[in-house]
Amino acid sequence: MKTYKKDFPIFTNRPKLIYLDNAATTQKPKSVINAVSNFYTKYNSNVHRGVYDLSFEATEIYEGTRQKIADFINASVLSEVLFTGNTTESINLVAWGYARRVLKKGDVVVLSEMEHHSNIVPWIRLKDEIGIKLFYLPIDKDFRLDYKAFFRSNINFKKVKIISLTYASNVLGTINPLEEIITLFKKKCVNAKFVVDGAQSMAHIKVDVKKMGCDFLAFSAHKMYGPSGVGVLWVKKEMLDVLTPIFSGGGMIETVTKDKVIFADAPEKFEAGTGRLEAVAGFGAAVDYINAIGLKNIAALDQVLTKHGLESLKKIKDVQIYGSLNAKDRLPIFAFNIKGIHPHDASEIFNREQICVRAGHHCAQVLLTALNTQSTLRASLSIYNSTRDIDRLIGGIEDVKKIFKIN
Amino acid sequence: MNTNDPLYREIILDNWKNPQNFGVVKNPDIDVSEVNTSCGDRVRLTGKIQNNKLVQVAFTGDGCAISKASSSLFTEQIKNMPLTKIKKLTKEDVLNNLSVKISPARYNCALLCFHALQKGLK
Repeated sequence: MKTYKKDFPIFTNRPKLIYLDNAATTQKPKSVINAVSNFYTKYNSNVHRGVYDLSFEATEIYEGTRQKIADFINASVLSEVLFTGNTTESINLVAWGYARRVLKKGDVVVLSEMEHHSNIVPWIRLKDEIGIKLFYLPIDKDFRLDYKAFFRSNINFKKVKIISLTYASNVLGTINPLEEIITLFKKKCVNAKFVVDGAQSMAHIKVDVKKMGCDFLAFSAHKMYGPSGVGVLWVKKEMLDVLTPIFSGGGMIETVTKDKVIFADAPEKFEAGTGRLEAVAGFGAAVDYINAIGLKNIAALDQVLTKHGLESLKKIKDVQIYGSLNAKDRLPIFAFNIKGIHPHDASEIFNREQICVRAGHHCAQVLLTALNTQSTLRASLSIYNSTRDIDRLIGGIEDVKKIFKIN
Repeated sequence: MNTNDPLYREIILDNWKNPQNFGVVKNPDIDVSEVNTSCGDRVRLTGKIQNNKLVQVAFTGDGCAISKASSSLFTEQIKNMPLTKIKKLTKEDVLNNLSVKISPARYNCALLCFHALQKGLK
């Protein structure tokens, strides 16, 4: 099995590190680090400004990343790709720049129980402000989305204005069949716009926005080997005229007089102020890196890791897994608990062996409440992980059981 | 790895498995809850005051071994203590109960009950 560990300098600096917290953020390959560093050492200047060569070249890098992302997700035109700070900021742009102006009291926003807080909290705020209703699609016994529950509800389909769902759960690892869901919902909820939270999926699953049929797609660079501080909101071309910017100021105008402003066209209209120039440069290198490996190869590796992880965890007595035991349509993200042991204590023991996992509610308290637990451990894997890393984690679980004397 | 863990020593394991003052005080004068925002753990602290003394104190909640053991030791420490003295307690006094050095990442776990009491005495 090919591993990509050597591409990531952190593992040279910390050879014993077993990093299993990729759903929180991924490590960065040398090419991304170099792209960030090169921007500062060779191209640093502001973009879209100077007539001089240096600024022109910086702009080419910045806009080059936009092009790479547009190609990566099969956008129709470049202006559909808006740079934001991260997925949270992207979803907030939809909520405040679109939904807040268009939604009326009694309108419905459809979410799911497996959403990250970033795709729940902005909608709760709109509920409190406008009086919209939230409908949460439940999860079924196999930890998959029971989206058909919606059609058994008494919701007035015409009132549904937004459907906002994650492509993959950051806790369960479940991959939602979004193409199928979008087709079905758009038939019934003719007034609805579809928002996809791609934070967890972009580094694992190919997204073709045209084929998928969504209206907005939000994701972050840092969960796909890129720098932190930059994300994307992809906006379907027709929606660019309906969406309004949340921030205004420099770089987003066509003309300004003492009491009037005409905005520039997208994407500038939505990118007020100087962006994260070096992070955008690194983001481009991250997309190149994923393309060079190929999402098909990544998916194949994911399946090997998912199967091995589930097989190994299943075998241990006193381990409860929160997620499907079927590797199909599932990412190598394993939420679990060791019976009677708080996740904080377990992760402290794992840390002795430099095994990094997340312990807590994973910004998914609605899901954890549905799962009837307060917190879990979570191991989330990436291309530089191996089945051996999973075996080390299993060893860590045995250590925990020994120290806390449970058998 | 042997079971002689540097952090999870007998004092912590004992107070985790058999916490002192675990429960709720009847007709309490102090009844306060506190959440550890990083993990969602919650503690409820109840207490009875007589003659400016904390004559009864108890805690409940779901927490890690560190938070449970620390709450157990802390409630033992403050039981029957005059309020004036309790108010002077620092977080170091509470951390010292554990007899082992814990990493700053676990301070919030160990101090959850202490933070609850501070809130309750405001």
